[in-house]
Amino acid sequence: MTSLRPYVGLALAAWRSVQAYRATFVLGLLMLVFNLLAMLALWQVLLRSRGSLAGFDWPHMKAYLLVVFVANCLVSTYSDYTMAMRIQSGLVALDLTKPLDYQAARFAETLGRVALELLTAGAVTVAAVLAFGGLPLPGPGQLALFVVSLAAVVPLKFLIVYLTGMVCFWTQDYLGVNWARVAVSALLSGTLIPLAFLPGWLRDVAFALPFQGTASAPALLFIGQATGARAVGLVAGQLAWTVALCAGTRWAWRFALRQLTVHGG
Amino acid sequence: MDGPVAAEALIAARALTKIFRRPVKDPGTIGALRHLVTRRYTEHVAVDHIDLTVHAGEAVAYVGRNGAGKSTTVKLLTGVLVPTSGEVRVNGLVPHEHRIANARRIGVVFGQRSQLWWDLPVRESFGLLRDMYRVPAVRYRQTLDELSDVLGLAELMPVVARKLSLGQRMRADLAAALLHRPPIVYLDEPTIGLDIEVKDAVRAFLRRIVADGTTVLLTTHDLADIEDVCRRLVIIDQGRIIHDGDLASVRDSFARERSIHFQLAAPVDLAAVAPRVPGGQVLAGRTGTEFSVRFDRFAHTAGEVAAAVMSTVDVVDFRLDEPGIEDVVRKVYAGELSPAAHPA
Repeated sequence: MTSLRPYVGLALAAWRSVQAYRATFVLGLLMLVFNLLAMLALWQVLLRSRGSLAGFDWPHMKAYLLVVFVANCLVSTYSDYTMAMRIQSGLVALDLTKPLDYQAARFAETLGRVALELLTAGAVTVAAVLAFGGLPLPGPGQLALFVVSLAAVVPLKFLIVYLTGMVCFWTQDYLGVNWARVAVSALLSGTLIPLAFLPGWLRDVAFALPFQGTASAPALLFIGQATGARAVGLVAGQLAWTVALCAGTRWAWRFALRQLTVHGG
Repeated sequence: MDGPVAAEALIAARALTKIFRRPVKDPGTIGALRHLVTRRYTEHVAVDHIDLTVHAGEAVAYVGRNGAGKSTTVKLLTGVLVPTSGEVRVNGLVPHEHRIANARRIGVVFGQRSQLWWDLPVRESFGLLRDMYRVPAVRYRQTLDELSDVLGLAELMPVVARKLSLGQRMRADLAAALLHRPPIVYLDEPTIGLDIEVKDAVRAFLRRIVADGTTVLLTTHDLADIEDVCRRLVIIDQGRIIHDGDLASVRDSFARERSIHFQLAAPVDLAAVAPRVPGGQVLAGRTGTEFSVRFDRFAHTAGEVAAAVMSTVDVVDFRLDEPGIEDVVRKVYAGELSPAAHPA
């Protein structure tokens, strides 16, 4: 019944659109690259003198930081910025006259951008490995689970971003909401610091929330800190949050539409 | 309310109302903080208990001042906005509840916003729309050929949308809205900002789709758009429909005045001319050798008036002004035309 073709078309259009604004896109990712470099330099110094901290030695910390960097590149700020702007500018009215599921259409566009984000992140990772030395690779089973987990970052993060973008229907303003999300997410996703370094109660909170599934989960799988049942549990958690947020955003969407205000033209 | 008329109607709105709630925020940070604690809102009734019935094949002009509620009505009919109260059905469907099914059967042009993908060549935007509306390849090519003829699309096809001029963009946008041959087309200010030449092309195109049986709801500021395209005139003011009726009969009733402008060989005394002109009002022109006669076109013919003037003075040239729909709408705003006097 539902054809995928228009969604594939949207993904391709988004991919081409990002290419038209390559400079903006790359500059946006540059912030993440600087962050990565700073973290690598900081932890290198710390771990050289201490050997290991909270179960992280230098090679594993390096791998952790790189995976977190790649995960953070996916569905990066560009996505929610574009969505929020369409709501604020009223262009959302045009999106809504199309015979497409709004959420699925935005996800398709996100996938188009993810392709480019992966390419860029991959290039930076290669450069970082060359500069900072090789990484310990996990076994094939663990690696497969890691790939699934990294892929699961995309829909999960999309839904978190989508939910924040939807807040625009109420607030008519996006910057504040976005900053709040970025701040909370940086801490609870394990981007700022691995979750193992957080105080016990906060760590428990973080593991119960969806944010860790957007960075920490694939990184812990890659460096082998989570294996066996715990590893499967992390991936299952990502998928469960994806399902829950998908249902939640669809439920909230009906209320969001009632809030929509589009003035003029 | 589901009488036989309502059942046949393609678009049927009953007491359709949309109220926007706007937060009241005092300026500055303190104002924003205060808003978090004590939320205050003002309510703005954009569309106020509108009853509107449109039958298949009708071309309806939906006219009103800025902020009268035109665009909001269109957004309610297209399912973009959810009504605060009242009912709306388009082709039997409630648009905001069956947004996607409704979207398949409608074409929409918002003159102030483009539905083209900004960074893609027009051709690829069209291809994307073809996939969205599942237009079969043969029919797509056929429709595109037809549209190309009227709108001159060939030169636009390879151009990236953001590089189009406003007129080019509007031509491409019109085509984009019609590629799937929708039975209902909503046009929200389709000629805004266009120069005369493009406006004429757009109007010619609209006349053609109306002739083909497409149901058109045309929202506009430009009254010339209406006279060219529509037979029915609906006027909205402050969210309420204040007039709904046949365009020609409204014009006959409320735009009766014609004017003839005369240019003379030598200045004359208008006071001497006036008594000789039948039933007319004689007005002085910019110079002594010009004057105009305003008369009721049902009381006198232009021929009578012109003959009377020419038998009195030496006329070099003259020009006839037909009454416009502008006059009608102006009278409606001035309160001279009441909806009760001319029910739909």
